[in-house]
Amino acid sequence: MAESDLSSPSLVDDLYFVLHDNVTGHPLLHSRLTGLALAGGVLGELMLAEHVALDFASNPERLYATVREATGDRLTRTVLGHVIAEPYHPVGTWLLFFARTIYADVTARMIAAKLLKPPVRHLLKQQPAAPADMNTAAWPLARLNLAVQRRTPPASGDCVLLGLLAAAGCAQRVLSEHDPRFVAAATAMLPVPLQRLIAQTKVAVGQAVISRR
Amino acid sequence: MTSHPPHTEFQVSLTQQRPSAVTAALAEDRLGVPSIVFFVISAAAPLMVVAGSVPTAYTVTSVIGVPFAFLMLGAIFALFAVGYVTMARHVVNAGAFYAYAAQGLGRTQGVATAWVALLAYNALQLGLYGIIGSAAEPLLVDWFGGSPPWWVIALVAWALTGVLGLLRVDVNGKILSILLVSEIAIVLLFDLGDLTHPAPGGLSFEGFTPGALFVPGVGAALATVVAGFAGIESSVVFAEESKDRHRTVPIATYLGIAIIAVLYSFSAWAQTVPTGPDGIVKAASEQGTGLIFNQAAAHLGSAVSTIGSVLFVTSSIACMIAFHNTTARYIFALGRENVIPSIFGRTSARTAAPIAGSLLQTVLGLVVITVYAISGLDPVTKMFFIFGTFGGLGLLTLLTVTSISVIVFFARDSRGETTWRTRIAPALAILALCVIIGLTLINFDTVLGVEPDSVLRWILPGIFLVAIALGLVWGRVLKSIRPEVYANIGLGAQAVNGGAK
Repeated sequence: MAESDLSSPSLVDDLYFVLHDNVTGHPLLHSRLTGLALAGGVLGELMLAEHVALDFASNPERLYATVREATGDRLTRTVLGHVIAEPYHPVGTWLLFFARTIYADVTARMIAAKLLKPPVRHLLKQQPAAPADMNTAAWPLARLNLAVQRRTPPASGDCVLLGLLAAAGCAQRVLSEHDPRFVAAATAMLPVPLQRLIAQTKVAVGQAVISRR
Repeated sequence: MTSHPPHTEFQVSLTQQRPSAVTAALAEDRLGVPSIVFFVISAAAPLMVVAGSVPTAYTVTSVIGVPFAFLMLGAIFALFAVGYVTMARHVVNAGAFYAYAAQGLGRTQGVATAWVALLAYNALQLGLYGIIGSAAEPLLVDWFGGSPPWWVIALVAWALTGVLGLLRVDVNGKILSILLVSEIAIVLLFDLGDLTHPAPGGLSFEGFTPGALFVPGVGAALATVVAGFAGIESSVVFAEESKDRHRTVPIATYLGIAIIAVLYSFSAWAQTVPTGPDGIVKAASEQGTGLIFNQAAAHLGSAVSTIGSVLFVTSSIACMIAFHNTTARYIFALGRENVIPSIFGRTSARTAAPIAGSLLQTVLGLVVITVYAISGLDPVTKMFFIFGTFGGLGLLTLLTVTSISVIVFFARDSRGETTWRTRIAPALAILALCVIIGLTLINFDTVLGVEPDSVLRWILPGIFLVAIALGLVWGRVLKSIRPEVYANIGLGAQAVNGGAK
């Protein structure tokens, strides 16, 4: 598939772009849910890279690292470091834990990578970090929209992206056409751990909505 | 799908016997006893009950044993809570009542319980639109020399609640605490004012005697009093967000019940002191929700009375928002499980509000206000009181079903809990609740203010029976046409995960 060849290396960056306005960088999703979705994105990226896996023998299924040492950029290293240090938490716990800080961390990483412009303060109002290049920012969503339009399942990275977007309850708002059945079919093609991750993200989002805080 | 007890990260990390950065970080956000007590009591809105429900109960039922009713109901709630909080330790809980019914009695019964709960909570929420007018009216007259009809005020409150619900604005925890503490303080101050100005006959403790309660009309009085406790059952919803689900929730629940029972009982009695037990019904009928403020103005001066009136309005609005959000979340949880159409399980992306549930609430509110405004029925005795008692009746049903669920659930496996918690206390609670439900039904004509042979008195309780029947049918239908949905009933937000945690 031509689209997948052009996909950017980072699922998390893609997810960030999808969840924010291409031009202004304004968030499209509530910050709490964005945090959960990005936490799902970071774990999904690590799963795709086969750095973490799920232990189905335990109940609840715990997340563990398959590598001894944390590698990659600072954010990935930190996340992986936590999983290596405490390999006995279920995915849901990790989502809540990383959701606390991940939004700021991802933004900082993308600013450092020159994907986002640093936020500017205009008089009283703080402008959010805007994408450095509109086309780069629009590309992940365009890929998803194309996939939905053509009803052709995208590459696995984009399947995760689509699944997380739907799990966060943002698919309706962001995609030009939201077909829950297509999303379900696309995520069903993913390996089981990634499916579990997406389901857990949806659970965490639901609980965040129900919670009174 | 699985019946394994859910493990929290606490249990997991405790078995590891190592300090966990993750657990520690997440624990920082967790709620302690005071926070949960604040949440549950504020939903019960003390000033609204003392100024709104209590005089209305005196007016409608002519029963002067209301103070005793609060104490008795407090004891019954505490008895109920024994089994309830015990179950909370073992069941991952989303919608409390129906989750417990689903786990204890079966999923079909869980659906029926969910429908009863939806009805009851909606009724309690909608009834509040009837009280806000009379709460705000005296103030508006005082400040502007006139007041619009009650339904204009109700519509303003309705719009405010609807918008805040969509924006997912819960009344901020700090504001809530300040409001609640001031409410309780002002109620106690009013009580003090009443106590220092007894009727010529001297202090009478008749309101605290069982004999004053168990007179014709007792059932109607009890149903009102139950509605005053509504909100207390939400303590277990915080189980997963509490510091220690084994201790925090039970302590907060018992403490909340005790505070409410004692405060309401004492205040209901204090209202009778200046008038004497013989004069309270007449005074309440004449002055309605203005009663305690008029008393306060006479005893403590108009400034104190005005502060009380302002707090009465804020208390009613805070209570409306709390109930609106609770009900919207309840609808959301059911939508998430596909027990009701899945559109109700959708969230607003921008505000993370349970959007469809919130809108449904808002629409229902408009319908009810419109119907009452057009038909010209009295908003306090016909709307606030009837919806309140109807909701109270539903709540009683839910408590009974939940107690039965507790017994059945632990009969399969006691899970190391004592017989008192799993059998005796719930059984006693069931007995007491059934008696109260029976008394309420006998007196439902009094509640409605209709003739004893009116069909209306059977139609309203009948709505619950219809809801139960439809719920049971719908549960069966789900079982046969959508078994995957049926398997997840009672799991709430977890349902989307196929039941595995």
